[in-house]
Amino acid sequence: MNTTTHPVSPEDIMAFLDTETFGKEALRVEKHMRQCPACTALAAQLRDTSYRLSEWSVPPMPRQVEDAVLAAAASAAGPGNTRKARRSTPLTIWNWRLWAVGGSGAAVAILAVVAVGITLERYRRVAEISPAPMISETNASARSGGAAQMESVPAPPATSQLAPPIASMIARTVSLGIVVRDYAPARSALDAILARHHGYAASLTLNTPENDARTFSASLRVPAAELDAALRELRQLGRVQSETQSGEEVTQQHADLDARLHNARETEARLLAILQQRTGKVDEVLDVEEKISEVRGEIETMEAEQQELEHHVAFASIDLQLTEEYRAQLGGRTQPVSTRMHNAFVAGLRHASATLLSLVLFFEEFGPAILIWLAIAAVPVWFLWRRYRRALLRA
Amino acid sequence: MTDEPHNTSARPDPALLNARHPSSDEEWVAEFQKGSAQGFSILFDRYRQPVFGFFCRRIADRAAAEELAQETFLALLRALPRYRQETLFRVYLYAIAFKILNRYRRKMAFRAAFLGMPDEQPEPGVSPGMEASLAVRQAVRQLDATDREILLLRHFDLLSYAEIAKVLDLPINTVRSRLFRARAALRALLETPPRAAMTHAPLRSQEQA
Repeated sequence: MNTTTHPVSPEDIMAFLDTETFGKEALRVEKHMRQCPACTALAAQLRDTSYRLSEWSVPPMPRQVEDAVLAAAASAAGPGNTRKARRSTPLTIWNWRLWAVGGSGAAVAILAVVAVGITLERYRRVAEISPAPMISETNASARSGGAAQMESVPAPPATSQLAPPIASMIARTVSLGIVVRDYAPARSALDAILARHHGYAASLTLNTPENDARTFSASLRVPAAELDAALRELRQLGRVQSETQSGEEVTQQHADLDARLHNARETEARLLAILQQRTGKVDEVLDVEEKISEVRGEIETMEAEQQELEHHVAFASIDLQLTEEYRAQLGGRTQPVSTRMHNAFVAGLRHASATLLSLVLFFEEFGPAILIWLAIAAVPVWFLWRRYRRALLRA
Repeated sequence: MTDEPHNTSARPDPALLNARHPSSDEEWVAEFQKGSAQGFSILFDRYRQPVFGFFCRRIADRAAAEELAQETFLALLRALPRYRQETLFRVYLYAIAFKILNRYRRKMAFRAAFLGMPDEQPEPGVSPGMEASLAVRQAVRQLDATDREILLLRHFDLLSYAEIAKVLDLPINTVRSRLFRARAALRALLETPPRAAMTHAPLRSQEQA
């Protein structure tokens, strides 16, 4: 049967029998069927197939299933339940809840990333001594008169005057973190404390970030005998945030150094005696003088080392960190929006390129290994997938 | 015997049907959404047997068919508050049933493939005292999977071509051509002697719908 001899297709006849054709189309098929025995026979075959198919019956639904469903329906029905459920419309792209939840989630994620970034950046800036906008003051510059603030810091007293013979030598180190209300009065008080206790500042670092609290880091040296008194006063500068104390026993180290120094001095004395009492060739005299020079150098190095050690013992070290309580201010000096946008754009590009580079490096480093593992895993995965597909087709 | 809903019949245009019958499925859904338990009871009464038959004709395990039919109505119960009348209720219901059926099939396939559990019984819908339809069931089982689904949805569930196209997500012309192909293949299988039909390979036409 084809459409050249039959104006209607077999599928049209089937659709007519299934009441899927209407109007003129249905009339056309019906008219043709009345005239065409082949199409009438086809219709009879289709009816017969449907009749045979109807032999396939199924038993009625068990009573317990009906009861279970109707019981669930009875408990689910009710104005409250259905109204409550009706409010939850399907999640489409135009659903405001989707945007609200998604937007809130994205905002929280961005805020978390920014907060973590700012915190890390702050710690990084405090830890480092960066040129801008940091003001760095060092003891050396204070001694040369470069920074006015350091002029008030007293110079370290001579070690020999303050270091009596010590039976047990301990170098004490204290780390102190204090939050102060205002930086300026705290700084003045710190200078006064140092002056009172004959201490000095080995290094000072002031960090004044924009739109953030100022932080001040100082490495202080205070005579060991006055350490406790100085600490008491320092703690009164503000709220103590952290404090750690440690002591390093250097008695043995000092004794070793002392012994080595004694031996070196004796060696030097013997060499000098040889030089004065014995006569010989010029080369031999020069060798002895060279040896004396070497020993002298060693003695001076060890003496310096010994002094440094004694200084460490005589002067306790205080690593002080003052953090000013931050009070946000409206207005103030802020960068123009265009500049900030430009900077953000540049930073964004930099981060994007860094991310891409990281990805490339990752695949360069691990790509071959990943490919090998994928190749190894592919065989069993393919086998299992094929088994699963076959089982699915059977089901 | 078909599992036709009690007060619905094969209809060319569901919109016209809704206009002719004031108590259409969609109106009962609206009643249920207003809080009337009767709305769901009426719908359940109409569709309990078609849905149960839907699973019985596709799954060999009778207990599983009962469980899935119950699960379908419970899922419907949960989903009805969100139902919007852009889709016909029948299409909505059968879409849910198909999802549950496919999930069950995937689960069984997974168990058979990875856990070594026994596959389903070969003959779907067999129960004692139903040998008269054995030949029909065996013939239907040998049809192509999609052709079989279209044939069953049309013949037993009385879905229109457009509704089948929506449920199975196929073009309507594909449904039409595949339905004709399924009926032709079924007729050929039914005319084949029973022993030959038992060993007949599944019919898979090369024709692209």
